[in-house]
Amino acid sequence: MAFSTTVTRRQKIKRKAPRGFLKRALKRQKPHLRLETNGDLLVHLNCLLFVHRLAEESRVNACENKCGIIKKEHVLAAAKVILKKSRG
Amino acid sequence: MADSKSPESEPTMRTLLRHVLDSAVPRTPRRPRSARVRNQSSQTKATARRHSRGARATGRRSHVKATGRLEEQTPRTLLRNILLTAPESSIVVPNSVTMPVPAPEVVRLSRRESSQGSLELRLPELEPPKTPAPVLLAPGRKKPRLRLSLFQQEVDQGLPLSPEPHGTADASSLTSSSLNLTFGTSLRSQSVQRPGLARRPLTRRAVDVGAFLQDLGDTSEAMVSPGDSYRTPVALLAKDAVLEDTQPFSPPLVGCSPRGRRSLPCRSDTGAADAGRAVGRRTWSGPALQNSPREPTQLPAGRSEEVNTLAVGFPNPSSGDSGEDGVEPLEGEGEAGENTEEGAVNVGAVEAAAGMQGSARTAESEGCPEVTEADGAVEAEEPEGSSGDKDTSSRTASPQVASGALGALQAQRRHQFLEPVAPPAAAGLCAEPLSARLPPRPRTAGPRPRQDPYKAGLSHYAKLFSFYAKMPVEKKALEMVEKCLDRYFQHLCNDLDVFAAHAGRKTVRPEDLELLMRRQGLVTDQVSLHLLVERYLPLEYRQLLIPCAFSGNSVFPAQ
Repeated sequence: MAFSTTVTRRQKIKRKAPRGFLKRALKRQKPHLRLETNGDLLVHLNCLLFVHRLAEESRVNACENKCGIIKKEHVLAAAKVILKKSRG
Repeated sequence: MADSKSPESEPTMRTLLRHVLDSAVPRTPRRPRSARVRNQSSQTKATARRHSRGARATGRRSHVKATGRLEEQTPRTLLRNILLTAPESSIVVPNSVTMPVPAPEVVRLSRRESSQGSLELRLPELEPPKTPAPVLLAPGRKKPRLRLSLFQQEVDQGLPLSPEPHGTADASSLTSSSLNLTFGTSLRSQSVQRPGLARRPLTRRAVDVGAFLQDLGDTSEAMVSPGDSYRTPVALLAKDAVLEDTQPFSPPLVGCSPRGRRSLPCRSDTGAADAGRAVGRRTWSGPALQNSPREPTQLPAGRSEEVNTLAVGFPNPSSGDSGEDGVEPLEGEGEAGENTEEGAVNVGAVEAAAGMQGSARTAESEGCPEVTEADGAVEAEEPEGSSGDKDTSSRTASPQVASGALGALQAQRRHQFLEPVAPPAAAGLCAEPLSARLPPRPRTAGPRPRQDPYKAGLSHYAKLFSFYAKMPVEKKALEMVEKCLDRYFQHLCNDLDVFAAHAGRKTVRPEDLELLMRRQGLVTDQVSLHLLVERYLPLEYRQLLIPCAFSGNSVFPAQ
């Protein structure tokens, strides 16, 4: 059961930044703000670092629980820590 | 083979055969005679061999011919025989003339072979046969013409009924203009009345032929015995006149026989009405006339066509008043948008009313006496015949009406017939209702709604999560990651807003983001922002973010 619900690692990932999505996301939450040129790339970088940290933290959690699969709980536990760390 | 083809091809074939015979000869002398002797022994074998060795064999034959030509079948003998026999079969008419020509040629050929003279001498000899060939060709061409003309004359004289169809058929076929001219003159002399009417019978008959077979089984019952008797001659006429099978509708079978009858009376009727030439209107006028008999039959059917009949019925009373007719049918057209059948019928009614009321009335008046003459059962058909000779739809409907007893069954048939007939009329006459109908048609839903773009972007980063995790991840965990990302973006936007507001700007600048990352612990004194950019972003984005000196003493991006 676990197998069907798990997502294996992707062999290739898109390194392209979803710039449109990033701009729109910011505009959606803060309509009065505007991003300077290539600001979305920095946001993308920040997001990448966040995801990286989240992934590493969740993996550590999974390994602590001696679980070969990253489960929801592991992500939740990691998110608590990382979200607190990534506060501005 | 070649002979059976057109006479024109003969000269070429003949010349070719002669060339073969001639060319074969010169080769032979080169070979030693011993080989020839061997070949002779083998000649009796398969024909294939003979062909391949034909050249050699011919060489021997020149020697052997002294003895006689009656030898076995060799290619040369075969060719000669062909040359001998060819003219007879090919040229049908001038046998006496053609026969002598080939014979001397053959003699010459034999002489040449025996003598094996120089090619130059032979070539001039070949020419004479060519000259007679065109002479032969000319009569051959002339004769078909003569036949055609004679045949036409015979047909016209022998079959008085058919002349109109022939003329129409020729005009429609558009074969050779010369032939058409001859036909047209003779035909018109007999039936001078109107060309437009002549056209129609053609179509009818074509339909008759296609439907006749089916007719025998199905509708023979409905039709009265006299109808059958009429049918047979009609079919024959149709066959005589070159029929165009273009008409897709076989249904008019029933109507065909009445048409045949009508065609004769119609000519007289149509002669008066020709000036108008609104044949289509007349055809529609036919149904209008029939309305009275139709209504009883259709009512039992209980279909939507009842409305049609009613709509058609309006023009009949209104036919007395031309002005009113035009208005009422128009209203019917507005309704026609709903039903195609209604639209077609209404249009027909409009046309009939507007265009040829006068002609229709005349036709009706003429048709009435015919009806009286005909049997009671046929009465309904004949009035239609007078007015509706032109169109299949009116005819089909007419016989059905005639057999009032079969009302229900025939009504159904009429439905079938009317439906196919209606679309062309509607297309040609009333394009408006069709156009009106098209837009209302419900269109299938467009592309299915896409997923929320925000979700899509989050899923993109969730995939990145699965990549960085370097472990299998549960799908629920991914969903959780998306939730975290959503929360993270909210925090991010709030922080950026605060930073920009604190700096007194409404624009988020890279400094703000650097400050944010510094507060997040991502950028430290050891790890600069540029280092992170180099580490995590592809080269294209790095070029955009990290200022770099380029040629021309320029720095991009400018700082």
